[in-house]
Amino acid sequence: MNREFQEQVAGKGDNSFASCFHCLSCGAGCPAIELMDWRPNQVIRMIQRGMKKEVLESRTIWICIGCFNCLDQCPNRVDIPSLMDTLRHMAIEEGVRVPEPGILAFHKEFLRQVSNRGRVFEVGLMMRYKLATRSFFQDMGTGVRMMLKGRFQLTPGRVENPREFKEKLGGSS
Amino acid sequence: MKAQTLRALESERVISFYPGCSLTSSAREMMESYLEVASFFGLRVQTLEDWNCCGSTPAHSIRGWWGLVLPARNLLLAESRGIEELMTLCPSCFVRLWDSREKLLADEQKNKRIQDLWGATVRGYTRPVFFLESLLSVASEKVETLAPGSFRGLRIAPYYGCLLSRQRWVTGLDGHSPRKALGDLLRRLEAQDLKWGLEEQCCGAGLAVTKPELSHRLVASIHRYARRAGANCLVVFCPLCHMNLELRAPGQEALPVLYVTELLAIAAGLPHAQHWLGRHLVDPKPLLNQLRIA
Repeated sequence: MNREFQEQVAGKGDNSFASCFHCLSCGAGCPAIELMDWRPNQVIRMIQRGMKKEVLESRTIWICIGCFNCLDQCPNRVDIPSLMDTLRHMAIEEGVRVPEPGILAFHKEFLRQVSNRGRVFEVGLMMRYKLATRSFFQDMGTGVRMMLKGRFQLTPGRVENPREFKEKLGGSS
Repeated sequence: MKAQTLRALESERVISFYPGCSLTSSAREMMESYLEVASFFGLRVQTLEDWNCCGSTPAHSIRGWWGLVLPARNLLLAESRGIEELMTLCPSCFVRLWDSREKLLADEQKNKRIQDLWGATVRGYTRPVFFLESLLSVASEKVETLAPGSFRGLRIAPYYGCLLSRQRWVTGLDGHSPRKALGDLLRRLEAQDLKWGLEEQCCGAGLAVTKPELSHRLVASIHRYARRAGANCLVVFCPLCHMNLELRAPGQEALPVLYVTELLAIAAGLPHAQHWLGRHLVDPKPLLNQLRIA
């Protein structure tokens, strides 16, 4: 069996997925399981089997919503949310096909906002996400309703010195 | 006498506050109602100057290092001002601050890199705290200032959501202890505090924009279960839950969704309550008017 991938993943983070005994608790309580192609414990087994491509190209790693139910329920305290983070980072580094491009686009746009101003401007985030994914009409009605209700801040908030913030943050990875 | 002086000092305690992005925009009702209620109870709240976004889900999801760096800057701002407790209203901001602090205190090398970037290491002097405990404790202390029986007829389904329902070692949050205090307070106001089944289910807010069909389904069942248990409103403790529970609410079946801070503001009879309530997507006013609550 190819242990290289397993060791690579284990070396990236503080994940102790080796102790998983497939009790299925993680998937049983997962609110987003219906959108996953593999259950969380299956992903662990695939890592152990060296199925790098299948794991890094899976929907599961992008769908994980970070609610921590799996970690809370796991009898072995396997930190699945962190494992999913590690796998997403690897998928980006390796430049594999991302089966959930919308989710990645949202994360990227969010971080672009953060790096530009130090804070997120919700209206700008939504508009740029819609442009990036060409989904202008989805949720437009609710967006307008929220706007009319005065639920959005219309001018972006920022840190005191956005330029310095951006320079420092951008230079750090 | 001594106890009284101590209590007076306690009530003038300054609370240092990390707002976070949604509190300044889509969850302004939560922030404004919190600030007014806090001031009504005699708490002084000071916003952390020059705060930045905690990075939320996107940072740790796709740029792990930023997931530590962004919260760390806020911790350092607080440490440099001698702030021991940094209060958040958003459970997600809390978890990001807590997680970054834990990880940096456990990893000298990473903490050294934080120093190279922001000019200091995280020493651990500042601890993030969640607003609920301190707010409920002052509210129960000053419960005589809230009209007893003023919530008669209100049948509340408290919705704690994901992060407040975990064991403490998972998220650093203790969402369980405040529940009793909340229950006692609600009983005092003669509201019903219902057990209804989905109080700890995740609402799917993290995917609300990118996978709306998922949050539609999760949110619809939350409203439906609460209604079936006899609730006439949902009460929430998180800006993201609130947004999602209103935005994805199932049309005719939708229940009004109130922040716990709005609830306290109403109980205290604060004048701005009408203003916040007007910004809700599911209008709570017909219910409150019918019960002669606000």
